Amino acid sequence: MKYIGTGMTSLTNRQLAAGKGTFVADYKPEGMLHMAVLRSPYASARIRSIDTKAAEQMPGVVYVITGQEVAANMNPIFEAYDTAAMGAKGVKWYALVPERVRFVGECVAAVVAEDKWTARAAADAIEVDYEELQPVTDPEKAMEPGAPLVEPEWGDNILVTRDFRSGDPDKAFAEADGTISGVVKQHRYTGAAIEPRAYLANYDPYQDLLTFHASTQNPHPMRVFLAETLGIPETSIRVIQPHVGGGFGLKIPTFQEEPLLAYLARKLQRPIRFVAERTEDLLAGGHAREERLYYEVAYKKDGTVTGLRAKVIADVGAPSALCGWGQSFVTSYCIPTCYKIPNNRVQLFSVVTNKCPWNAYRGYGKEAASFMMDRIMDNVARETGLDRAEVRLRNYIQPHEFPYSQVSGAMLDSGDYPKALRKVLDMIDYENFPAMQAAARKEGRYLGIGIGQELTPEGCSMPRSTLLGGWDGCTVRVNPSGQVTILTGVTSPGSGNETAIAQIVADELGVSIDHIKVIQGDTDTCPYGLGNYSSRSIIMGGSAAKVAANELREKMLKVASKLLEVAPDDVDAEDDKFFLKGAPTRFVTFKEVASTVYRDCHGKAAFDVEPGLEATRYFKHPNVYHQPDTQGRFSSYPSWPNQAVAIIVEVDPETGKFKIVRYCAVHDSGVVINPLLAEANLHGGFVQGIGGAAFEHLVYDESGQLLTTTFMDYTCPTAVDVPSFEVAHQETPSPFTPLGTKGVGESGVTGPLGGLCSAIENALADRNVRLTELPLTPSRVWEAISAAQGGNR
Amino acid sequence: MISREYEFHAPKTLNEALSLLEKSGGNAKLIAGGMSLVPMMTLGLAHPDAVISLNKVPGLDGVKEDGGVLAIGAMTRHHVLKTNPLIAQHAPLLAEAAKYVGDVQVRHRGTLGGVLVHADPAADYLPVCLALGAQIKLQSAKGVRTVEARDFFKDIMTTSIEDGEILVEVRVPKLPAGSGSSYQRLHRVEGNYAIVNAAAVVEPGKKKGRVALGGVGPTPVMIDVSAHIASGVSDDALRRVSDAAFAAAENAYGDLNGDAKYKQAMARVYAQRVVRAAAAQAQ
Amino acid sequence: MKKTIQITVNGKSYSRDADTRQVLADFLRDELRLTGTHIGCGTGSCGACTVVLDGRTVKSCCILAADVDGQEITTIEGISTGAQQLHPIQEAFVEFQGLQCGYCTPGMVLSAMQLLKENPNPSEDEIRHGISGNLCRCTGYHFIVKSIQEAAKRLQASK
Repeated sequence: MKYIGTGMTSLTNRQLAAGKGTFVADYKPEGMLHMAVLRSPYASARIRSIDTKAAEQMPGVVYVITGQEVAANMNPIFEAYDTAAMGAKGVKWYALVPERVRFVGECVAAVVAEDKWTARAAADAIEVDYEELQPVTDPEKAMEPGAPLVEPEWGDNILVTRDFRSGDPDKAFAEADGTISGVVKQHRYTGAAIEPRAYLANYDPYQDLLTFHASTQNPHPMRVFLAETLGIPETSIRVIQPHVGGGFGLKIPTFQEEPLLAYLARKLQRPIRFVAERTEDLLAGGHAREERLYYEVAYKKDGTVTGLRAKVIADVGAPSALCGWGQSFVTSYCIPTCYKIPNNRVQLFSVVTNKCPWNAYRGYGKEAASFMMDRIMDNVARETGLDRAEVRLRNYIQPHEFPYSQVSGAMLDSGDYPKALRKVLDMIDYENFPAMQAAARKEGRYLGIGIGQELTPEGCSMPRSTLLGGWDGCTVRVNPSGQVTILTGVTSPGSGNETAIAQIVADELGVSIDHIKVIQGDTDTCPYGLGNYSSRSIIMGGSAAKVAANELREKMLKVASKLLEVAPDDVDAEDDKFFLKGAPTRFVTFKEVASTVYRDCHGKAAFDVEPGLEATRYFKHPNVYHQPDTQGRFSSYPSWPNQAVAIIVEVDPETGKFKIVRYCAVHDSGVVINPLLAEANLHGGFVQGIGGAAFEHLVYDESGQLLTTTFMDYTCPTAVDVPSFEVAHQETPSPFTPLGTKGVGESGVTGPLGGLCSAIENALADRNVRLTELPLTPSRVWEAISAAQGGNR
Repeated sequence: MISREYEFHAPKTLNEALSLLEKSGGNAKLIAGGMSLVPMMTLGLAHPDAVISLNKVPGLDGVKEDGGVLAIGAMTRHHVLKTNPLIAQHAPLLAEAAKYVGDVQVRHRGTLGGVLVHADPAADYLPVCLALGAQIKLQSAKGVRTVEARDFFKDIMTTSIEDGEILVEVRVPKLPAGSGSSYQRLHRVEGNYAIVNAAAVVEPGKKKGRVALGGVGPTPVMIDVSAHIASGVSDDALRRVSDAAFAAAENAYGDLNGDAKYKQAMARVYAQRVVRAAAAQAQ
Repeated sequence: MKKTIQITVNGKSYSRDADTRQVLADFLRDELRLTGTHIGCGTGSCGACTVVLDGRTVKSCCILAADVDGQEITTIEGISTGAQQLHPIQEAFVEFQGLQCGYCTPGMVLSAMQLLKENPNPSEDEIRHGISGNLCRCTGYHFIVKSIQEAAKRLQASK
């Protein structure tokens, strides 16, 4: 049988459904100590002094550490991005703050103790004398002259800017039939994996080896970061990633606690575990998304958009070594997404504030670009009197125009946007919706339909980054018994890429998947690779597996052909056999061929092949351009999946609460290896998108205190709050990968943002409601209704 | 995590619990379901010196008829309220409210008494107890006293319970046959506290009624709507109910779910909705 | 402070000292090493810590270990007897991809078990309400709902 294209369930399901998975917090080695962290209660303050006496004297306390010791013995945390290569400002961020805290939740001191309660109580007993400073918590205020500076030596609060231009926007605006200006605001939210961050460090001085178990997405880069931060060789560290309870980007290194724990384990020579509590993760586990996008568009009466000016202002929180701020760059990089707009100016202002630093979160800034474009297309439709779908169709980049270079230098690989949109409109019966809407209105029900269009570039590759690269590695090993071991550089946070990679290798070798085991997440056994982010695991890891398996296939075909006494070109492999093409009854088994290579390498069938059946190969994506062009632009995303969604909602105009009645999506991520798992990923993306659009919000007050520090206030959607989904795949292969794959992991989070705004406005069309800001909580929708009616409610 | 040491007691009788409570000198917490207390201890928002469990004290749970009154033990868990036939017959509002409390697991553990003493302004039972005219029975080593539900809630998470007292029973007058009642709430995600909630009772004959609202101020508020509906539950009557609710919600305050103005507007909407639904049920 | 408790977990009796600071989830994980019970929030919001206490699901992060003396508990480890002998609900989750990372799964499975015990033939809406105390960030709930529907069918058919 062939596996590619088959919807298999994940290979890890049985173990995890039994409750027999192993997460970091499940390890409890003999003699293990616990680390607890004292965090800054202020958004901006100078540390005058720290008194650790009370903590040190508590029975059970083993060690107390502050920023002074860290700064004297460790390097600043190694940056996920090379900020200099990106034209951005960097910062020396230590595992514990030696001098000045910049957000509530930043790590100030830590305690190691015999039990976790003592560690916590002792950390709370540390007395810190702070000099409070004026924080800045609004990005536009932070841009004003004289604003408090998050990093005084920077001279301003701007981390990075961009200014992309194409065509002649001024001319386009002068010649337009109409122009629209507006803003869309996306709020701060995050991935909130159910497993909090957790690490276990154990140092063996006899081997000089630090074993670091981490709930991380990126074991190899994490090893580099730890080595560089601690100033020790990479070979003295082994990072192991056991099961990970959800990542979504938030478990990409490097957080302060990671090098801190590694340092303490080496110093104390005892195993130490740190498991974040939910509040700690909400305070300091990485935020994302908070952006304001100001836009002006020029359009013609026929709905074509001829010019766009966009200004992205991102509040990326305090600067850190984390890769989160790059999301703001990606927002500007993706504009104007799927659309062919000849004249553009796109500006980015990535602004630092005294809030939690951004870390990567599924969507990685792409969602904001699509959200803005969705709002623009809806507004153009409203102004021209055209249908919302029609306006999109008139502005899409057409299938024959790929590869297509956008204003930012982004090189879009392939796609058929009109086909996907038409398909989703068919699914939801768009044509007949107005009749359904009218019938419902007679019963007093307010139904609305909306369209969301997402473009979700994947396979992020940034210049000189240790983390973000357009390549990965894989080892395929056929054992003497004919069983296959795959070792990958990519990792799975539960998304099932191990299963899809096994499917790729199974097809390439013609071996049953039952004979394959996949090993991931161990720097000592797996080939170097960059792990899991940017939906890269099949694009990069799957492609690497394909080329590695192909090397073994060629070798085994040669041996098999000798055993069959035919030419190698006449032999094919499937169902654990090598057989003569056209005469499948003439075969040797896969196992016999493997055995021949290992046991009879001087015999007549294998004498001219190299012994062993193991190949490690790396795949580098060809659609990445890091040599800057004449405008200084580079192309950092090789792969451009896209999706059209159509959503029907029912709105209660008295309260502003809405319910999703139907949710349809047509997704195109090129060739799909495993449609079941691809769909499963999309479902998760939809719910995180709906969560972000309507329910989840990290709320700060003006002094920089986070008000949503538990799951009681940071409200993730439950099963009752979301619908079931109707999904169809469309396959426009990538011309750049061996299997035509693109990537699916991040898709889904974007459609609900514009799609829900569109649907709610449609439901309330006769009230002329305008939605520009997320989240779409009942009160916000009610306020929009109220504003449309002149505020007289 | 709970990082501070404390003493734990699991008394086997009410008297034992009362004497432990008295001895504790004020910094002991009673634990019933623990659905609020344990998270508060975990978050470091409560750090009692002692915790006295009521979970092993017999006789504090269950629903009994006492003449015209249902006597509901304070330790009665939400899932029991949701399904108990006496409640369904004589105080269906309580069952309606119980359906919304937390989620399945919380309803299995959490208790009626626990919700009332925690007194979150948007908790489901608060307006229900007011609308039903419930009485709260409090016991201490000194004796027993009974407080009307409308006098029990003093401020945000503050009640008239005193040191040394245990809420032992909630006494709910049976609704007369032919009454109508309705409980409705607005919330952001399932299982979360309500943004605004409302409970209405319309008496047989539809001339008299009352509505209680939660989430629109530090304590639940009650409005007698009899004057508005006396000449029929018309659209106009419901508008007057809404206006009265709007006025009663004058102490609404803003929080993460919306500003004071929104809460007040929702008081209007929900008062009208529950009165309409209760009137439709009443005979 | 320690308090000795006698409890039955997955059919086995234990007499152990519980630290008063220990919530039930801690006790199961750290003392009995039943690590299938997970902790996701500590405030009773996410349901990863769901266990069965005297026949009903509860959130073990919000119950003090000292407070369950004399009671009976079933954890995820107690509903299957081996890798190939999972509970029919677990089998349905495996076969219909009702999980991804597996962190919420033990709680989700126990909630599904409770639901099907009380309501063997639930509607989609009833299933969604039955698991509303369990947050999942990976699956979007879609295949979880489907898994429970399939489990219900199978359990009905096997009666």
